Amino acid sequence: MRDGLLFSNEEMSCQIPASKSMSEPAARVAITGYGCVTALGMDASSSWDALLQRKSARGPVTEISVEGCRVTEGAQARLPDLPGYSQKQISKLSRASRLLIPAAREALGQAGLLETNGMCALARMESSISTTASGMEMGEGFLQSVWNNQPRGQASLLARYQAQQQIGDLHRILGFSGPCTLIANACASGSNSIGHAADLIRCGMADVILAGGYDALCELVFCGFDSLLTLAPEACRPFDRGRNGLMLGEGAAFLILEKEARAQARGAGIYGFVAGYGHTTDTGHLTLPNQKGLPIEVAVRQALKAADIEPDEIGYINAHGTATPYNDTAEARAYSRIFSNSPARLSSTKAAIGHTLGAAGSIEAVLSLLALQNGELPPQINVRDPEPDVADRLVKIGEKSKLDYALNVNLGFGGSTAALVLSRS
Amino acid sequence: MIIEVLSTGSVSSSGMGLLGVPENCAQMAFPGSSALHPVALVDQKHPELLKWSKEPRLRRASSLSYFLIEAAHQALAPCPQIDRSRVGVVSAFFLGCVDYSIKFYRQITNEGRRFGSPILFPETVFNTPVSHVVATLGLGGPVYSQIGDKSCWVSALRTAECWLRNGSADHVIVLAAEEFDPHVLSALQASRLLKKDLPIADGAGAVLLSAKEVGTGVKLAGVHDGYCFANKSQALQAASACLSEIPLSVPVLSSGNGWNANQIRSMGPQREWLFDKKLNGEAFTASAAWETIRGIQLLQELNLPHLAIPHWGMTQQHGCIHLTR
Repeated sequence: MRDGLLFSNEEMSCQIPASKSMSEPAARVAITGYGCVTALGMDASSSWDALLQRKSARGPVTEISVEGCRVTEGAQARLPDLPGYSQKQISKLSRASRLLIPAAREALGQAGLLETNGMCALARMESSISTTASGMEMGEGFLQSVWNNQPRGQASLLARYQAQQQIGDLHRILGFSGPCTLIANACASGSNSIGHAADLIRCGMADVILAGGYDALCELVFCGFDSLLTLAPEACRPFDRGRNGLMLGEGAAFLILEKEARAQARGAGIYGFVAGYGHTTDTGHLTLPNQKGLPIEVAVRQALKAADIEPDEIGYINAHGTATPYNDTAEARAYSRIFSNSPARLSSTKAAIGHTLGAAGSIEAVLSLLALQNGELPPQINVRDPEPDVADRLVKIGEKSKLDYALNVNLGFGGSTAALVLSRS
Repeated sequence: MIIEVLSTGSVSSSGMGLLGVPENCAQMAFPGSSALHPVALVDQKHPELLKWSKEPRLRRASSLSYFLIEAAHQALAPCPQIDRSRVGVVSAFFLGCVDYSIKFYRQITNEGRRFGSPILFPETVFNTPVSHVVATLGLGGPVYSQIGDKSCWVSALRTAECWLRNGSADHVIVLAAEEFDPHVLSALQASRLLKKDLPIADGAGAVLLSAKEVGTGVKLAGVHDGYCFANKSQALQAASACLSEIPLSVPVLSSGNGWNANQIRSMGPQREWLFDKKLNGEAFTASAAWETIRGIQLLQELNLPHLAIPHWGMTQQHGCIHLTR
């Protein structure tokens, strides 16, 4: 079925779920902790500070082999230390695990769920986690070893390759276990993992969840985006009419989501709420978003409806904003319709931290949460000639605004589209 | 909330909609070696699969996509009345698009980093096959691709339960699929997970769930997920913890072909174990789907009131589902 059929105006209203089937009011989903590792900083506060200072993490990619690619720059993260772990132990972790464990630890610490020995205070805790490439560099190493007939070390590479093995690292190093939903909805996954965690809490299937995403730079994915000619040869310029591609990045981010009553009962600080979640699939094309932005509009309206708010209550939109010509056009058109009577400000932080794929939605949720808390908005950097549909909305340097609600939007290959509404505590 | 199984679908070496014991398995060579291992692979020229190649979107799609679409189509076929715009899809994968991923990586390795095919790369992404499913079959509900070991099937069922509970969808198709590449043999051998007499398989399974309609009369009474382990001894403890969720009066289907299946069975001698034929070789998440489908059949054939179907993961966790009539 083509997108014109799935997303006709009549059907759009059908796509927005009717009232929830649960008889009792759904629990409010509190955010009691957050943490992230980005190419701009090894924790949430340093990433945030650098973002407000208009820094961009763009630079030569040196940790993976990119020689011969058309573009060889990206947003490469510095890997944080893992206190209490020897270099030998750390060397056995995939790059992905080196990103996700510190981010999760920061979130747990902030939520008051980290013991003094660095272990999680809960023996069993659910997680909802996203990735697109898992420990891909290990998988690449395995293939090379097979092709070069070098069986030694293959088992070690395989033990660090798949996503569930990074979750095993997380469980082992932070000392907890429990169900883990691993979502791989391409670049929308980071929002899906948070939205799904909120769904589980709202319908009573979980009380507290570690929700977020991670992805590390790897050769296969870097070359894949290079093959699609989607990598920006120079600065990444979201929502600029002269934009010419994205900047790949890497990182991880996590939120601790908790039933509000549970958080209050244990005296936890509440930094905000996951107020709404919407998700759709753009079925028109694998990589080209519907140029009217209809699936985006449906997902955003679902999230607004779930949050029980009107578009004009959104103060800030952290857009997907990859700076590819087609993505930004689709988003700009969707926002110009949804927010036609709304002052919502907008920026894409990918110009600064890069497109972190399965981590993107989660990192951007942390940044939106910080905007809600601090009243400062991440500026849209690198824009020279703004896209007319959003020109008046793009966040300028030093903008401040007391926000009640922020919106995060993410799109991915296969048409995955997700929208999250976060609210202030 | 009562969640009922409306219908099922499967694609395996036994055929379309058929589950069976693999016979006369082909022998597949390991990459770069003359060593052979039995495989139970889907006939990719089967007319029921080839019919999907007429869809323009599927011309370059992976075999994984074809397996998924056919399995989902079979599950939907007996239920023409349902509103497809309210059908959610969640699919479980252990390997994903392994064939195209290896091809793409070989291209950039052998021909140069800028010579990877831009047509191939998007087909390597985990959620691409599921996107093909919803586009081809016109499904409009929520869509997730989930990854993990065999137990990922149980996580996917839990997601379906969540969507049915919160009203995100009226129906959910839970899918699982795997495709084969000879490198999988090398990987399993290196990880000491390859059993000499166990064919490695490919294929897909589908279960259509509803919280509103009556179908097979089989209900999903419980989904027990997340019994994690990091090594073999922990795996046995996790299996014991997982089985403890199921009342002793409920018979347990002796599922699983993994290295620990016999040990786990020996841990619960006081339970009633149901031994059934070993289906279609080992296809990871697809095997988990087939075992669930077989469990549904056994409930009906043997007129059982309850049945538990454990899904023993190989590298991550165990899970178990509890079916009733």
